[in-house]
Amino acid sequence: MRRHFPWARHAVLILVSAAMLLPFYWVLKTAITDENIYAYPPRLTPLDPHLFNFVDVWYLIPFPRYLLNSAIVSALAVAGNVVLNALAGYALTRHFPAKRLVLLLLLSCMLIPFQATIIPAYLISARLGVLNTHLGLALPLLSTIVCIFIYKAAFEAVPKSLIDAARIDGLSEWRIIATVLLPLSKPAIATNVILAFIWSWNSFMWPLIITRDAEMQTLPLGLARFLSYLEDTTGALYAFVVMVLLPGILVFLMAQKEFIRGLTSGATKG
Amino acid sequence: MTLPAWMRSRWVVVPGLIAVATVAWNVHVAANATGVIEGRVVDAQGRPVAGATVTLFNRSFITNDPRQRTLTDADGYFRFENNDSHAVQLEAERADRGRSERRTVRLWFRAQEHRLAAPLVLTAR
Repeated sequence: MRRHFPWARHAVLILVSAAMLLPFYWVLKTAITDENIYAYPPRLTPLDPHLFNFVDVWYLIPFPRYLLNSAIVSALAVAGNVVLNALAGYALTRHFPAKRLVLLLLLSCMLIPFQATIIPAYLISARLGVLNTHLGLALPLLSTIVCIFIYKAAFEAVPKSLIDAARIDGLSEWRIIATVLLPLSKPAIATNVILAFIWSWNSFMWPLIITRDAEMQTLPLGLARFLSYLEDTTGALYAFVVMVLLPGILVFLMAQKEFIRGLTSGATKG
Repeated sequence: MTLPAWMRSRWVVVPGLIAVATVAWNVHVAANATGVIEGRVVDAQGRPVAGATVTLFNRSFITNDPRQRTLTDADGYFRFENNDSHAVQLEAERADRGRSERRTVRLWFRAQEHRLAAPLVLTAR
């Protein structure tokens, strides 16, 4: 098929892509019109498009405040992920007693749903005095096990002789990570940045529980609040959705090449 | 002269462009946020209407509340100052000449200076 009908493969891919992008198109189309998303018969093209729904969202709710909160929490989560996961990933490339047990424990923890850990996480946050703070919002997202394993795979792909040479040159373990391993693991870093950003940006349950003031709410909470006020399925709500989605899409587009490489590196190792 | 590699990185260029656009937009807003809304009221024949009461409604979440009132001058012109909303409605009325339709004006930012392109037309009801 590939040799004889290259156009057929492209046609199928275009169709599948179009089917996947259609919901996003519909949200965008609704955001720039005053149509109801459930209007029947549906129109494929926007009628009288305009951008004033975005202005409404900006002013009708404290959008800049929500945006700032989400940006701070995501920045903390990304920074924490990059540093802590790299350290944990490096530790797992070294030999130490009960290493297999630690690996098993980490893998087991991945099976526990976040909802099951909410009460202890809340109590710990309260004991630390970080309830209703940006640090408290970011705390459970500061390290993720999936990304620890991505770092582990990336660090294991670095030739051991390089690390030994660095050690002979007198580099400490910290500097080996910072100056040898991390510069050679850019795809892993990009993957970690994207995943940490998207997870923290979209996080809903934890911010809902830990925040007490409207001033500390993040964008997903603002979206739920906006929906409860408006009780409407027309333009402004979908303009809000687009404004929440845009930063995540932007970060993904900037790092997509490294992201794909980071996820697939080591996938075909024997 | 070539820029250093880190300055050409998309992680610097994209946030940099966003920051520049944000600053430029805020400068534009600061220069044009006078809160003035001007317009004219005419009758069905297109003649200016003096002494018509024009009401400015501000949009809250789901309602439009009257905030300011003013009278038109001899040439039918009116002017509101200190508008602090991004979405307003305007309606004109004179007891003996009728009332206009309520006109929605959507602005790009709060207190944007705006002049109505078409006058409010009074029609007898």
